[in-house]
Amino acid sequence: MKFKAFVTDNGVNLLEKRFLPVLEKTGKSCHLYLTRDHALFLHNLLNGDGVHSVAQFRKEALFHDYRISSNNDDRIAFALDLSLLLRALRSAVAIASEYSASSSTATRLEIKLVKKLSPNSTQSMPFLTLETRGYKSAVIQDIPISKPLSRAQVTELQNALDSAQDLPPTLVQVPDSNQLLNLVDRMKQVGDVVNVFISKHGDLSVQVSTTLISLGAEFRRLVVIGEQTNAPSEDQNVSAQTRSSRSISRGDGQSVQVSVKHFAKSLQCHLARPDSAFYGIGPQGSCLTVIFQFFIPGTRETDKSISLHCRLPVLDSGSG
Amino acid sequence: MSSLLDWVSAPRVSLCFRYLFGPALGNNFKEAAMERMMAIWGHRVFWIVIPARDKLIWEGMFGLAIPVRAKSIREGVFRLAIPVRDTSECRDLHSVVASGVCSGKRKKGFGKGRRMSHSDMEEEEAPDVICELENVQGLVDALTAVRWKRHQDAVLELSEHGIVLIVEESSCLQAKVYLKRELFVRYDYKSRGRPRFGVSLGHFVDCLNAFSLPGQSSVIQIQYPGPDMQLLLKSVDSLDASICAEIRTRIPDTTAWNYNFEPAGATPLTFTVKSAALKEAIEDLEWPGSSIQIILEPDPPSVTLRAEGHGDLQIDFMYYVNSELLVAFQCDHRTSFKYKYKFLRATTSNMPSSVIKENRGSKLSIGRGGMLKVQHLVSIAKPLHTHVDAIGYQQPGRIAHIEFFVKPEETED
Repeated sequence: MKFKAFVTDNGVNLLEKRFLPVLEKTGKSCHLYLTRDHALFLHNLLNGDGVHSVAQFRKEALFHDYRISSNNDDRIAFALDLSLLLRALRSAVAIASEYSASSSTATRLEIKLVKKLSPNSTQSMPFLTLETRGYKSAVIQDIPISKPLSRAQVTELQNALDSAQDLPPTLVQVPDSNQLLNLVDRMKQVGDVVNVFISKHGDLSVQVSTTLISLGAEFRRLVVIGEQTNAPSEDQNVSAQTRSSRSISRGDGQSVQVSVKHFAKSLQCHLARPDSAFYGIGPQGSCLTVIFQFFIPGTRETDKSISLHCRLPVLDSGSG
Repeated sequence: MSSLLDWVSAPRVSLCFRYLFGPALGNNFKEAAMERMMAIWGHRVFWIVIPARDKLIWEGMFGLAIPVRAKSIREGVFRLAIPVRDTSECRDLHSVVASGVCSGKRKKGFGKGRRMSHSDMEEEEAPDVICELENVQGLVDALTAVRWKRHQDAVLELSEHGIVLIVEESSCLQAKVYLKRELFVRYDYKSRGRPRFGVSLGHFVDCLNAFSLPGQSSVIQIQYPGPDMQLLLKSVDSLDASICAEIRTRIPDTTAWNYNFEPAGATPLTFTVKSAALKEAIEDLEWPGSSIQIILEPDPPSVTLRAEGHGDLQIDFMYYVNSELLVAFQCDHRTSFKYKYKFLRATTSNMPSSVIKENRGSKLSIGRGGMLKVQHLVSIAKPLHTHVDAIGYQQPGRIAHIEFFVKPEETED
């Protein structure tokens, strides 16, 4: 089992500035799953609780000289602490900038899997090592990781990943994730469960209700991907609640209840600076899915080398 | 007749009311509503009270009904008074209620002395108040200033002059926030009476907070009452994105609060101190861990805040030495009263940052019996980036007044 690669400048930038801080907010530890072509950061795919999050990078997006080999079809997966990886990466960046200031030679950041004897232990332990090599010296940082997952566990992870690829039939584009995040942060004060309603004519409403209070927001005429219908004209001048209940009874809308904290976590992903975010309810109200879209810089074309999506567990499948 | 009136004695009436209200409403609501009715009408008439959403089919069952005042209906219940002729009719009341039909909407009542007709029942009733405000953050600041603990009940009083929010604790501390109608860009007041209702201050502030998102200036509409007597809030500036909130209200306690502030003598005992300095002084007085003595001296004019506990701490504001700090001073004889530290701290602990930044000055007055009044002014002007403020003009009416009344611990003098 071998893995070795050099992190590109773009890769450092993507991980340090955008993805790792966000993924760390989703959950402190995650699985890093490396295949011949991709590197994936996976949250909660093997346990049912919490937000399932999948951040997938094509190897060229992060690395060059990417070499991987294992007797499980060149697939390696292990759990690691994201905060340690982020700290190591930040210090590597700081070291690299010092080097580049003092010499004209470019620094290289190598990442590899190693087994080492840790202090006070007779057994060798697995580490993910970041090595910053300058002209005269090198700085090595070892990040402790879990034992690599067994063949069966990797298969399980791959199966969970495959089943997480199902798209909701209707997706609506959230106009301003930041604004919605601010709102949901305030909703956290009111209740623990948020009711999310999505319709085929581009309505998205979120509502927190308790016995004493109900607080909600409604966004209308959003961009719809997938199944869509036109909004009936008689629904124009009614309240958000009436509109959603009518829509659910007609069958062109669906609502689910998810944890406010999970919902806020999914919105925090906008800190990874995606170009757009889409929300949809899975078939039979199985989950609330959010898919982030990244464009190739300077274009309106989807950057297929990066993908990020989350699935929020449903507390109550609601109606529809 | 008198025997019948005896029959309609309190316990039976109570049972009947409980039955009529059904399990859908909370016990507090039932009891409060019942108490109020008993207080107004005694036992001379029999009341049927049903939730505001229901319509009672009563015609033909009894010969006479004493109609309902519109105000009573706004307060959340239909009241139908029926003079009881014999006990069998009283028993029949259950069947009357059983035949009550839900009409789905709250309907207008009927004027005193007039028979109820179906056309009256169909009339829609306008809410008591619909108002719109541009700077939600200013309102949040003003209300936060009187939020000294997490769970606090507040009473809102509506009138043609504006809205007053009142918070009280332990019969020793009361705070009022005055929101004059000039603060609102729209203020439609329809009620003839002065509606009062209770809400949780925490919920109210949490909801308002959701409307004051950074980087957005949104207009919020406040309406009372909603179809179920709720307080309704909604943003009205965009058709495609809107926020709305509903807060359940309750019937406030009817106990009179005794916070009448009367001047102590011919010359008012009052001083104005810069708000930031007052807050700092009160915070500093925490460590002796005792009550705070406020002493006003006419010669030399000075204010002393003093705490004696684990140690002594005394803070003096001398009028002539530091007139920038102690802005105004009026006192003709030495006065000294002690106040509980936690109540005094509540008057400044959540002072909005805008008050400290503007540092206008807080006015403190001591009234008869040592009642302390602390007044702050909170700016509810439009956010700074708007055009109005860009040219340096601020409407003078855009100020919310906050008053605290603190009862003294013991009287000296």
